[in-house]
Parts: sequence; structure tokens; C-alpha cells
Amino acid sequence: MIEVSNLTKDYGPIRALEDVSFSVQKGEVVGFLGPNGAGKTTCMKIITGFVAASSGDVAIEGKDVVEHGVEVRSRIGYLPENAPVYTDMTVEEYLAFIATIRDVPADQTAARIEQVARSTGVSDRLDQEIGTLSKGFRQRVGLAQAMIHDPEILVLDEPTSGLDPNQIVEIRAVIKELGKDRTVILSTHNLPEVTATCNRIIIIHRGRIVADGTPDQIQSLHGGGNSFYLEVLEDRGSALQTALQDLPGTRQSSPVEALGEARTAFRLEAEEGVDLRPDLFRRCVEAGLTLVELRQERLDLESIFQRITLQ
Amino acid sequence: MRNILAIGRREFFAYFGSPVAYIAIAVFLVLLGVTFFFKIPFLLPKEDFFEAKEATLRPLFEWMVFLFTIFLPAISMRLLAEERKMGTLEILLTMPVTETEVVVGKLLGAIGFLAIATGLTLAYPLMVGLLGDPDIGPLAGGYFGVLLVGSSYLAVGLLASSWTRSQIVAFIAAIVICAVFTFIDRLPEALGLHSMEAFNMMSFNHHFRSIARGVIDTRDMVFFFSVIVGSVVLASYSLEARKWR
Repeated sequence: MIEVSNLTKDYGPIRALEDVSFSVQKGEVVGFLGPNGAGKTTCMKIITGFVAASSGDVAIEGKDVVEHGVEVRSRIGYLPENAPVYTDMTVEEYLAFIATIRDVPADQTAARIEQVARSTGVSDRLDQEIGTLSKGFRQRVGLAQAMIHDPEILVLDEPTSGLDPNQIVEIRAVIKELGKDRTVILSTHNLPEVTATCNRIIIIHRGRIVADGTPDQIQSLHGGGNSFYLEVLEDRGSALQTALQDLPGTRQSSPVEALGEARTAFRLEAEEGVDLRPDLFRRCVEAGLTLVELRQERLDLESIFQRITLQ
Repeated sequence: MRNILAIGRREFFAYFGSPVAYIAIAVFLVLLGVTFFFKIPFLLPKEDFFEAKEATLRPLFEWMVFLFTIFLPAISMRLLAEERKMGTLEILLTMPVTETEVVVGKLLGAIGFLAIATGLTLAYPLMVGLLGDPDIGPLAGGYFGVLLVGSSYLAVGLLASSWTRSQIVAFIAAIVICAVFTFIDRLPEALGLHSMEAFNMMSFNHHFRSIARGVIDTRDMVFFFSVIVGSVVLASYSLEARKWR
């Protein structure tokens, strides 16, 4: 559906994107992840035709975004960064204006406005001037504007920025709902957001794609790892060490850590896909150790993200 | 066409949504009235209206053109500069519209505003009509000319507004361009030379006067249409240039 090939974009001497290629299938919800200034916004601006790439191209259903600009743009709904809106119009006037230019048939405009207003939660603000709305509501109006013509593709640049936690949950639900039968590309630097809404993640760092896959794929590919943590009562370091020797499936074990007199902790890394917990439990019981905590640890996306982008 | 009209309408109503429009119109009408009926300073040839004892409207139109060089850049400055500054240009240009449609729509919206402001000045000829008996020909010619000059100024102002995100910069650039090309026909005179055809050809005032006399000359029409079309084309290019920055 969306084919991005070898995009490079230079802003003067600064290279914002370098040889970025990926393709998005219909119905995918893709999250662009990356630190500020990584190139997420630039990439979205190129997809929506607001800026042109220095080299490389973007095609939507085989149509180039530069050559067939008007046609391609009519299939996309776009929420730019910071959700710019005409502050001198009321929400309803604004949505009607966008609907006209977006070629929504005049007799359907009222129904569309009602529908997008309901799903973004601005129904009771339709008569309010946008300039008097809070940041969160402007953001919703921006989202409503992007959805007004029921586009096949939605490009959302930081859709939940400036929202409070409750609103974030609501908007995520809206995006998830949209993602059921539409293609969505969103950007964020909020990690819970991608895991909550996206079925694919593209991590961009310094203008390049450094990871691309489902959240699970990224976790296992980038040293997601598979490690186990356990804690027993009292200072029983040596007993613990002996008890856990030569456990099958273990890759590496870290030294025993005494947490004061009261408890002892231990962490070991296992091979991918192995669950050591039953064995660990049994060994501890056999050695007469009182197990108070046992858990499997995966390197979460947050740590992976930091590991990749802090290099 | 639908896009152009939608953008034009939005722009037109945006003017009346803010008090600035009403203030601008009020100031324009008052300045025009005062200068027309009383002392007309340096630029205009005649004594004031009452001393002249002649129901002519020429000074009214000349003074209108002069006021337009300041008034209309103030109207056009926001057209694109504000969109750039607020980021709404990104909303606008990622919709299925072309740059030219945006520019033409905005120009039409501003011309609509100009038409309202100019229409309100009809009060003065009406008063003149009560005092004397002005010819309808020069009256119609004068208004036609004033609207042409005004539309050209707005097109130039729109072009200036496409260069920058600062309304002040757009305002000043438009005033300078409009003023220079309005009064350039007087430059040789000011330097103590004979009037020169080349300067006349470039001057808004010169072309305006010939239309205001009631003579519709192709050369004058070509002049105004080139200014308007040229400004629209250049403004569209300057919007499009954002892509490759």
C-alpha cells in the first residue's frame, strides 16, 4: 500500500533522513519510534507530500506522491506535529471547511462531522472557537480533521502529545479502532503507546531505520533476552549457588547478591524460549531454601530503545 | 473551483471574525472622508472639495489609491505568513489542493474584503451627488480602476506574504513595492526631468488615471492583469519551494 524507497532528505548541511526504505501493507498500524530529531516527522512530511525528498521516492498504491500529488493526498488523512488548526474558527466551521476541500459530498458533511466529533470526543465543543480550546482538545480536533473524509491511510504525528493520561487512553482506543480496517502510521517517543496501539514498530535513529518488526520480533532480535530473577530468605548465598549449578538451559548466571541479612538474590540468563521457573522452584525446595520471589525478565522495549539510541 | 471558493470564503469570513477588519475599514473611511472634503495635502493637485466648487470625484479616487498602498498591505500581510507561522499551511497543502488554488482562493477572499471596503465609500459620491451633479461615466470608471489597482496591490501583498512567516515583514515589503510602483511616474519630475514613458508604463497611478478618465485601454488592462497573474504565479512557486528547502 505504501512503498517508501531509499528516502534521503537534506536540510542544508543536515541530513535528516538517510536511505530509508520500508513498505506498509493495508491494515497495518505502524509506529515510528525514535528520539526527537531522529527524522520521524520529516519522513511523515514526505509521505504526505508536504516536503519533497532529496532522493528516493514514496508511492501509494503505486502512485508517486510527487507526480500524483493531488490524487495521493486525497487518500491520506494527516495530523501534523503540534496539531495546527485555524484558531479563529469554531470546531464545526473548521471541520466543515476541511470536509469541503476533502471532497466530502455536501449532503454527508453534517453526518461525517457528527461521527468524527463523537469518536474524538469533541461533540459538545462544536460551537466553541478553536482558539479557546485547551491543547488536548485542539489535538482531538486535529485528529477529527484527519478522519473527516474517512481516508484509507492515516498519518498521525504524535497524536497523543499534550493529552492527559485519560485522554491518551481514549485516543489510543480511537486509533486502535481505526487500525482495524485502515492503514495507520503514527509517530511517538512514548513507548507504551506503540505497544498499546501498533502491530509493527520502526525505530528511527539519526535518520536511519535501526529496527523494524513486531514488538515481539524487536524484543527477541535486540537482546530482549530471557532472564530469571529469584530471591530467597536469609543470607544463603553459597547454598543457592550449589543448588542452581548445572541447570539445563542456563546460559549465564550472575554472582549471588546478598540483600542484607534478610534475603539473597540471584539472576540467570537462559536460552531463548526456555522457561526455567519450574526447575528453579524445585531446586530451591530441594535445597531447603525459602523462595520469596521468582520472575521471568524480558528486556522491555524501553531498554531496547535506550540501548539502540544511546549508542 | 470548489477548493478555490472554499478557501476564498474562509479567508473572507476570517476578516470579519476579528475586530481588526472593522477598525481598518473605519480608519480607511475616516481618512478618506477627511482628506477628500477638506485639505488634500501634497500629492493631489486641487484645492479642497468645497473651495474647488466642482463636483468632481477625481481627488477621491486618487486619494483612495494612495491610502490603498498602506491599507491593503495590512489586509494582505496575514494571508500566507500567518499560515506559515501557525503551521496550518501544512494542513492546507497536504489536502488535495494545488498551491495555485490556495493562492487564488486567498486572493479572492481578500478582494471580497476590498469590495466591501470600497463599496462603503459609495457614501461619498452619494453626498457629492446631493451637492452637485457628477457624471456617471467617470464614477463607474473610477470605481473600476480603484478595484483593479486594489486587486493588484492585494496580489502583490499576497506575494510578499508568501515569502515570510512574519506579517510585519510581509506588510513592509508590500508597502514598499506598492508605493514604489505607484509613484514611480513622478520620479523624473521630482528629479527635474521630463516625464519618461518607461516610468509611466510601470506606474500603478499612471494606468489607474487613464482608466479613471473612463477610457478602457488594452495597455492598462494588460498591465493590471500581468501584475495579478504574475504575483499569483510567483506566490504559488514560493509556496511550492518549501518542498525543496
